[in-house]
Amino acid sequence: MKTKVTSLVNLNTNPCKMCMPMGAATALCGIRDCITILHGSQGCATYIRRHMATHYNEPVDIASSSLTEQGTVYGGEKNLKQGLKNVIALYHPKVIGIMTTCLAETIGEDIEGIKERFYEENPQYQDITILPVSSPGYGGTQYEGYMAVLNAVADKLEMNTQKNEKVNVILPPQSPADIRYLKNIFRIFEIDTILLPDIADNLDGGHTEEYSRLPKGGTDITELRKMAGARFTIEISDKSSAVSPAQTLFEKYQVPYKRMLSPAGLKATDDFYELLSQLSGKDIPEEIKTARSRYLDGMIDSHKYNSAGRAVIYGEPEFITAAVRLCAENGIMPVVVSTGSVCPDLKQYVEAPIADMGKRYFVDDYIISDDTDFKEIEEYAVKYKSNIMIGNSDGRRIEEQLHIPLVRRAFPIHDRIGGQRLRMLGYEGSLSFLDEMTNALLSVTENTFKENLYDAYYRGTPIDCGEKEKDEIPADMLKKTIEHPCYNCAGHKFARIHLPVAPACNVQCNYCVRKFDCPNESRPGVTSTILTPAEALERYKTVKEKLPNLTVAGIAGPGDSLAGNYPEVKKTLQLIREYDPDVTFCLSTNGLMLPFYAEELVKLGVSHVTVTMSAVDPSISGKIYKYIDYMGSRYEGEAAGAIMVSNQLSGLRILLAHGIICKVNIVTLKGINEEHIPQVVQACRDMGCYITNIMQLIPVKGSAFEELPMVSNKEIQSLRNSCNKIMRQMFHCKQCRADAVGTLDNDLSIDLGGFLDKDNIEEKKEEEKKKLKFAIASKSGVLVDMHFGHVEEFYIYQYENGTPRFIGKRNVEK
Amino acid sequence: MKEKDNLLEKYSSRVFKNRKTHITQLGDDANTIAANTRAIPGILTARGCCYAGCKGVVVGPIKDAVTITHGPIGCAFYSWGTRRNKAKPSYEGEQNFMPYSFCTDMRPTDIVFGGEKKLEQGIDEIMEMFHPKCIFICSTCPIGLIGDDVQAVARRVEKKYGITAVGFSCEGYKGVSQSAGHHIANNGLMRQIIGSGDTKPTGKYSVNILGEYNIGGDGWEQERILKKIGYEVVSVFTGDGSHATIKNAHLADLNLVMCHRSINYVAQMMKTKYGIDWLKVNFIGIGATCKSLRMLAEYFDDPALTKRTEEVIAEELEAVSGDIEYYKSMLKGKTAGIFVGGSRSHHYQALLRDFGVETVIAGYEFAHRDDYEGRDVIPSIKPDADSKNIEEITVSPDEELFRERYTAEQVEQLKEKGVELDTYDGMFPDMKKGYIAVDDYNVFETDELIKTMKPDIFFSGIKDKYAIQKAGVVSRQMHSYDYSGPYAGFNGAVMFGHDVAMSIYTNAWALITPPWKRVPFIEGTVGGEE
Repeated sequence: MKTKVTSLVNLNTNPCKMCMPMGAATALCGIRDCITILHGSQGCATYIRRHMATHYNEPVDIASSSLTEQGTVYGGEKNLKQGLKNVIALYHPKVIGIMTTCLAETIGEDIEGIKERFYEENPQYQDITILPVSSPGYGGTQYEGYMAVLNAVADKLEMNTQKNEKVNVILPPQSPADIRYLKNIFRIFEIDTILLPDIADNLDGGHTEEYSRLPKGGTDITELRKMAGARFTIEISDKSSAVSPAQTLFEKYQVPYKRMLSPAGLKATDDFYELLSQLSGKDIPEEIKTARSRYLDGMIDSHKYNSAGRAVIYGEPEFITAAVRLCAENGIMPVVVSTGSVCPDLKQYVEAPIADMGKRYFVDDYIISDDTDFKEIEEYAVKYKSNIMIGNSDGRRIEEQLHIPLVRRAFPIHDRIGGQRLRMLGYEGSLSFLDEMTNALLSVTENTFKENLYDAYYRGTPIDCGEKEKDEIPADMLKKTIEHPCYNCAGHKFARIHLPVAPACNVQCNYCVRKFDCPNESRPGVTSTILTPAEALERYKTVKEKLPNLTVAGIAGPGDSLAGNYPEVKKTLQLIREYDPDVTFCLSTNGLMLPFYAEELVKLGVSHVTVTMSAVDPSISGKIYKYIDYMGSRYEGEAAGAIMVSNQLSGLRILLAHGIICKVNIVTLKGINEEHIPQVVQACRDMGCYITNIMQLIPVKGSAFEELPMVSNKEIQSLRNSCNKIMRQMFHCKQCRADAVGTLDNDLSIDLGGFLDKDNIEEKKEEEKKKLKFAIASKSGVLVDMHFGHVEEFYIYQYENGTPRFIGKRNVEK
Repeated sequence: MKEKDNLLEKYSSRVFKNRKTHITQLGDDANTIAANTRAIPGILTARGCCYAGCKGVVVGPIKDAVTITHGPIGCAFYSWGTRRNKAKPSYEGEQNFMPYSFCTDMRPTDIVFGGEKKLEQGIDEIMEMFHPKCIFICSTCPIGLIGDDVQAVARRVEKKYGITAVGFSCEGYKGVSQSAGHHIANNGLMRQIIGSGDTKPTGKYSVNILGEYNIGGDGWEQERILKKIGYEVVSVFTGDGSHATIKNAHLADLNLVMCHRSINYVAQMMKTKYGIDWLKVNFIGIGATCKSLRMLAEYFDDPALTKRTEEVIAEELEAVSGDIEYYKSMLKGKTAGIFVGGSRSHHYQALLRDFGVETVIAGYEFAHRDDYEGRDVIPSIKPDADSKNIEEITVSPDEELFRERYTAEQVEQLKEKGVELDTYDGMFPDMKKGYIAVDDYNVFETDELIKTMKPDIFFSGIKDKYAIQKAGVVSRQMHSYDYSGPYAGFNGAVMFGHDVAMSIYTNAWALITPPWKRVPFIEGTVGGEE
């Protein structure tokens, strides 16, 4: 019937069922003055007491014959008889239930025989009814144990066959509060009942001045003996149980019976009242009609919210059938219906309402499975996209894991109080159950709808971006930002030039090796030539003539713009400003000297500054730098990190205070800062930076991090996406060279290099014949990592005299 | 000794004979008690079984190991997250199987034809899906009877996958309580895990915490204090513990023993095999914590460490003393009863005393005589049929790794200075004359003790909790802390004081009698009214 989604077929992972003695003990709690003794090792009694006490918040006394190894070898009869005597002395019970366990059954204990011999040896105890029930832990689930006790009562108890006017009611495991509701209904219809069992008071007692060890509720044994003479039996069950006490009573004593579903939901409750009306000869009372109309009103009120529900329903078949019908009737689609029991016919009991509901709502993907554990239920919950779970508290781990709200019902409920008072029967019980489910769905909607709607309909739209920028940035700055290819992905039609005037650096990053003439590579810190300020101006002029769309002049090293070469940087900027008053100045730095020069940069008209700051935690930052040279001393480790972080942050703050547009580059270093990046982004956002640029590390041979694994494109994208929720992210970084020229998509640095170095070009022409060109499909410029059909640009390499050489990038139509 | 007599008078002669030896009203002389004998059938003992001691207590909390319950489903369900041992991965990516319960879920056919094959196939699946480095197999009742050999399965798994696999024959009926399961678990850890690692501690002074199960985060508070002083905690047995750290436990300098009952076998065997001393500590209670920390410093005998210890104690006391005084003012003069498993009943007396609360009744579920009377009685305990069934393993000094910090003489000198090395004096010395100790208490005795000793608060477990409350007495769960905790160390003491005060002073107790049942103060007529 089911398709296994895991490979675990021989192991149960997180059980969705308990063992027979648990259910047997529960059923025996519904008999007055009854004490239970478990024949086996004492752990069974202890575990079951502990689990029942936690659910019902009541004392649960279950004795044990405390079998040890000796009893296991020589038989446990002596222990059991001694145990019977002791419970009699301490509890004075009228009834004793003897239940077996795995141990007693495996060693083949004959509890019927032991019972007979106990009576023979102790005639003074003849008046105490002993009820032996076989309940091996491996024989079935708690539901089967529960039904075994009820059937044993019907089958084995010595009956009083005299006819009476009573109605037997065989009850499934339900909460004491629901049993109290049923009792009240029988009272309203004036039907005299014998409840098998009646746990209403024994498992949900009050606080009284006098406390009795053996609770005084439950059905008396003399009443139970009258079941044989009753005029009718109602068995509330879903028919999944192999045994039927009602049928047993019919076969043995010809008591007519009707098996009917739990009165949960409208239809089943209607049927239930109809039957009671027939049995009592009374009309349905007004108060019940009012309750029905109130439930119906509630159904209509909440249907608009319920239709979003895709439910996981798990537990005993009896509970599942009730919950499925109630959900289906209210528009909550059961998509995963699972029981831990072996119940091959489950589909037969639950599919009709689900299929009917599916037809109305056009849903045909659901699963009904038996012999299921929570590991599978969790996988189904994901697969069938459920958004609400209904069942006992053992689903709490899935609730925590998948953030799917769990509406708690059935047994056990261990993580909340009041499991014994939860309702689901009758119109009122159905309504309170329904309200809880609707509210669970609503609370998720309430907490997420703003964000969801914003994401679905607003985020990323022009209005969204535009308004934000208008609010925050003055018009002139905005224009410069829009025309700056590194700050606006729509700015790629504008070109920029990086002027390599600053070779010195004050920091040794662990990922960096600066080589001046290495055009094979395209990455930050790399350049072919170092220019003087005058040469830089010349280059700017030349390029500006060739590329009228040149809007940005930037200084990106190849060292650090603010280290030893600051005078050259300053001079360069002044010269270019004189030549072209409209140019946008952009500068990048490691930030170490930023607090000292920030104000001066503002005066020089620098509008955009990029700071490479991969950490805001000194200890993490310390791992990134091999050393830093600062104020005449060399610092390493955390000391270096502390200086870096504090200078980077204070420098940024000064710039931001002057309205400078700041971009922060963050290099992703696996195992060093990848977890920490969202904090860096958050810090940037809090300060008011414009954008952050999360970049890949490009491992460089000879650098300290050359062995560090690269972060994949996928990982970078997901980091950027998640940080995009914090602030604006740069998704289009090309990690340019320090002498890059042109638009981001088309680096012309090699070609244009010729304007300054004509001889070089002529040489190239001579050798042209031996050259081969290769187009490399790469996203990062490091690995061949793009599919041919997805490439937007190729890295062009030239093979020449046995060495490959990078010559530029070329754009292609997709 | 009238209270004791009251307690016993309702028993039949046979039960009387048994129970009177398990109940001791403390007198002037050396007090003795019977312990670790079979529970009386039908008497509603609070004890659990051997499986509960092995899987539920000792090996279950080892977070990076997969623990498989071999047997029918019930035991796996009932021991799934039942104890509130908290665990979190120690580092990104560490495996944590604590939220899982794995079981072979045996059915009638498996009982008839054997379940070894199913178990082995299950382990194949576990290896495929979870790749654990360590697997524990815990047997339930039917396993020993049908002849499945879990040790043999474990050996085959070790060979096939090159991981550690331990089979525990901890069938529920073995021994007389959880205690047998502790012993079986200790043996397995000693035999196959401890000593299998080689990562040496880097700190100057390193310790293991033995018998700390991190209920409600107790272990974390202890680690916090120890680390603040500068100790390296190599491993914790076993709350938030891991196979990855326990295998290096033998490289630590000293073992600190919290729960003596459940882990003393490991402590003793590590002393013999590796020469590591063990120190009985108690981090439950402000006074007890300070004393334990000072003994620890004394053991290492380093002035800098002693100075740091005193600094930390002063700093911690400064932070909590105001709260402690406040709760003490609310609790002073109250009396308590405490019944927990093996060592807590002793530990918590120290904490209660910090608040001026006297523990007038105390007892253990599954302790042995040494937990009451001290380890000196061990030679005089005669093995019985049940204890003989639990394997005792003998270890000998490890040729390479045996290393004693102190000679036997020096150990004696330390002991004279008050450092409780390699020994435990039990609970009795900390209880006063007239107080009652009950071993393997049951529901009947609980009711009677409450009536005769009238404690203001009763500490035990969930099974008793609701009966005690219905009898009108405050109950607090000492197994799970009623979802609260930690109670250990300095911060834990404040939390405990708050929880106890809040329970005793809750409004509900004052509202028990309804107005229509209150007797009017004055009867008769008011003057002038005729």
